[in-house]
Amino acid sequence: MNSAVGLLRLADSVLRGEMSWRGSRFELRRPALGSLALGILVFGMFYGGVMGMYGGVAGPRFLQVVYSAIKVPFLLIVTFLLSLPSFFVLNTLLGLRSDFSRVLQSLLATQTGLTVILAALAPFTAFWYISGSGYQLAILFNGGMFAVASFGAQWMLRRDYIPLVRDNPKHRWMLRTWLLIYVFVGIQMGWVLRPFIGDPNSPVQFFREGSWSNAYEFILRMMWDVMMAWRR
Amino acid sequence: MATGDEGLKIAATGVGGWFRELDQLLRGELTRLSSLRRDGIAISLRRLSYVIVVLAMSYGFCMGTFALFRVQGPGVWQLVASIAKVPLLFFLTLLVTLPSLYVFNALVGSRLSPMAVVRLLVASLGVMVAVLASLGPIVAFFSVSTTSYPFILLFNVLVCGVSGVLGLMFLLQTLQRLSVLDSETARESATGPDHLAREEPSSALDPLEGRVLGKHVKVVFQIWVIVFGLVGAQMGWVLRPFIGHPGLPFVFFRGRESNFFQAVLQHIHTLFS
Repeated sequence: MNSAVGLLRLADSVLRGEMSWRGSRFELRRPALGSLALGILVFGMFYGGVMGMYGGVAGPRFLQVVYSAIKVPFLLIVTFLLSLPSFFVLNTLLGLRSDFSRVLQSLLATQTGLTVILAALAPFTAFWYISGSGYQLAILFNGGMFAVASFGAQWMLRRDYIPLVRDNPKHRWMLRTWLLIYVFVGIQMGWVLRPFIGDPNSPVQFFREGSWSNAYEFILRMMWDVMMAWRR
Repeated sequence: MATGDEGLKIAATGVGGWFRELDQLLRGELTRLSSLRRDGIAISLRRLSYVIVVLAMSYGFCMGTFALFRVQGPGVWQLVASIAKVPLLFFLTLLVTLPSLYVFNALVGSRLSPMAVVRLLVASLGVMVAVLASLGPIVAFFSVSTTSYPFILLFNVLVCGVSGVLGLMFLLQTLQRLSVLDSETARESATGPDHLAREEPSSALDPLEGRVLGKHVKVVFQIWVIVFGLVGAQMGWVLRPFIGHPGLPFVFFRGRESNFFQAVLQHIHTLFS
């Protein structure tokens, strides 16, 4: 029970961006990096599990639930780790190195915030599935949930960056750069890690054999297909 | 070989020390006006060159992973070739552009010795390679998960372009700072020391505020920086292949044909058609 309460407290603290008076100004009080990472794991796994329930939970389909539960935090953490080195070097080059521990905490806390929001949106996803949805639409719906969570997370990140930008305006550019790198890598990572939901007509697999080489190419094509289907 | 200055020179304590020097370079500590005035660009050429080679090789590895995971194409030999070629690319470009930088610098009246110019160029290479290596994991990830050769080629061009731009910005700013220091020293020796407070730029890439640098000097440096970029790009073409077309067998160098800019345009066209 303690750990559940602790998790909720973590989620609350991350979402509210609690401030504390430190030295001569208000600074965001952040939980430890370890707790933040744990939060990503737990909340991410929760949403992933719900995602994977599309094909039902009977028999072999349960594996899809497990796979998706593993993949969501993996997606977030690995994208984060891939984007970090170049962001670190860029910050250093622009003279923002001394702020980097705060920046790192904010970035990680944003990830945790994203998973918290996702976990809160999980009931919507479950409801969408239960209402009987086509596979393509389910994918797009989940994409929508991720988009909502991302906007929320981005809003949190902006909030965190306010004191940083006040100290040094270059941080504003760094914020945009981070989002650019992260989204660019994240989309391809999401593609590579598919399936998250699992086509009910296909067997349960951890990875799909690639038929399209690139995430961006595929997303455009899928939106096109859905639009075509609606028009009929 | 530790020297007296607190914190600015590093005791040569192994590999950690090498990267610490690069770190100080990136943070702009070695190109602060005060440190430039005191001892020029205080880098150890040998150490920084080793770091550059290591980082360039790591990027070559990331580039070469594309060939590693394809069924046809050049395979693991391309990986080996890329690891060898990336440091070669940087040092050859340095070699080709070094004489002209020294000459232009001398023409605008700078008192930089040839060694100082070498140090300046190597420092800029250090910055370039640091950015490149930090983008390496992303490149490797895309190389492993994409089968589209035009995409990965253009992506690599983009990454190298970004690193090149940042490295050249560093070069340009440092050149300007050195020139400003030169002209100020000349003025001081004529009129006595200048006691006005100097404003240090806050990073390695920041331009100096309120400094007078002759307009023609600025233009000369800017042109040279563009030339460096062009040489680097074409050198990349001459030393190709770095990634390895999946339809072609392994070869260390491809024959002479076309040029970098034509090839990039062609690949953009392929990608979008």
